[in-house]
Amino acid sequence: MLTLFTAATGRQVEARVDEAQAVAQLVCRCACGDAAAWEEIVQRFHRRVYNICYRFAGSADDAQDLTQEVFIKVYRTIGSFDGEKASFNTWVTTVTRNLLVDHFRKTRNDRATDSIEAAQGADDDGPTLADRLASTTPSPLAHVESRERREMVHRALRQISTDLREAVILRDLQDMDYREIAEVLKVPEGTVKSRINRGRAELARLMQRTYKQVL
Amino acid sequence: MLGETNSGMQCAEFDALLAEAIDGSLTRQTREDFERHKAGCAACGKLFAEVTSGLAWIEQVEDIEPPRNLVHNILAATTGAAQQDAQRTVRVEVRASAWERLRRQLGTVFEPVLTPRFAMSMGMALFSLTLVLNMAQIRIMDLTPHNLSHTFYSNENKLVKHYENMRVVYEIESRVRDLRNSSRESEREQRDRLLEKNNNQTQNQNQVNEPDARRQREFSRGESPQLLASLNGSEQCFGTYRGNLAKLRREI
Repeated sequence: MLTLFTAATGRQVEARVDEAQAVAQLVCRCACGDAAAWEEIVQRFHRRVYNICYRFAGSADDAQDLTQEVFIKVYRTIGSFDGEKASFNTWVTTVTRNLLVDHFRKTRNDRATDSIEAAQGADDDGPTLADRLASTTPSPLAHVESRERREMVHRALRQISTDLREAVILRDLQDMDYREIAEVLKVPEGTVKSRINRGRAELARLMQRTYKQVL
Repeated sequence: MLGETNSGMQCAEFDALLAEAIDGSLTRQTREDFERHKAGCAACGKLFAEVTSGLAWIEQVEDIEPPRNLVHNILAATTGAAQQDAQRTVRVEVRASAWERLRRQLGTVFEPVLTPRFAMSMGMALFSLTLVLNMAQIRIMDLTPHNLSHTFYSNENKLVKHYENMRVVYEIESRVRDLRNSSRESEREQRDRLLEKNNNQTQNQNQVNEPDARRQREFSRGESPQLLASLNGSEQCFGTYRGNLAKLRREI
């Protein structure tokens, strides 16, 4: 059992190393002006960056704009990326996080007025009418419940403080390890773990409160 | 919670190991101590429950599907803009002629001026000038150098005549003339006084007492200073001659 576990972990590590090497080659080609390499990088990372932006911003439009800004910045500064200091994944996440912090600071005053619109607004990233009609496997009720639960979690995430939120999102939603998160947030690993625990606990308390209110 | 000891593990240590316990990366012995502490400490047990509950909530959240045109928009914003720049550069390099090269060199010098705002201001200035010329009934032919100089001199004459004919100017000029005349007279008086001084000095040297000459001089203001100077000179010569004559007589 232990052997199987070790083998599986070893394979995972090997896969990660292979992917890191492939990404490093793409970055090198991109820095030399290869447009195809850049397109490949965008295809690999756009989903991840979009999800981080969405969890922070809470709005699909903002998430799309922020994602574009992130990739524009990455495109402009890809020549200065040093593969020895950090992985490309960590670097892109750092750029994303810094842009999100700036965006958070700029929109601090607007968030009070936007919260009502966000609560009442339509779910931009939900399925369109055509998708809903075409879909057969999940029932509409289950889908609606799942969507509502997701929205509740997102709202609860937006209520916890930024420090805790970014640690939880990077760990639980982006599957980054503690060392990488510490590099992105520029804090010690111990602090990262502590923030993750406190963020999860806070989220659980908020969800409990929300469910009590609903019931 | 802090400092509470239970089964060899403190709450602070429990807190530090909580993330790894949830990840399942604790050693067997540490895991046992951890579980024992969790069971024995109410606060740590509650914390563990909250943390695992929060994780469960988050794990229910699926990845959000990005919009379909996101990749296209990103590529358009990055390589799309870069491609346009590259095409523009290529186009300029292919068509570069002598005129283009000259324009590029001059462009750097006149770049601050070649802006829409400056062109607008120049246009407005030109329009105002044309309007003024039109209202003043000035034609383009009037602006040739010959016509301009002719106009200038004729206007200057008119102006001079006009001002000269003005009463105020006339009065001021007459006053100025009077002042000039009076100042000339005072200068003459000063010169006369100086001459007198000189004469007195020579008279004292030669021991010639000529009060009458002074009186005469005082009365003869209208005479030229040169004549008086020549007279003084001759008096000096006469005085010197008389002195020499006296010397000779003594020697004899």
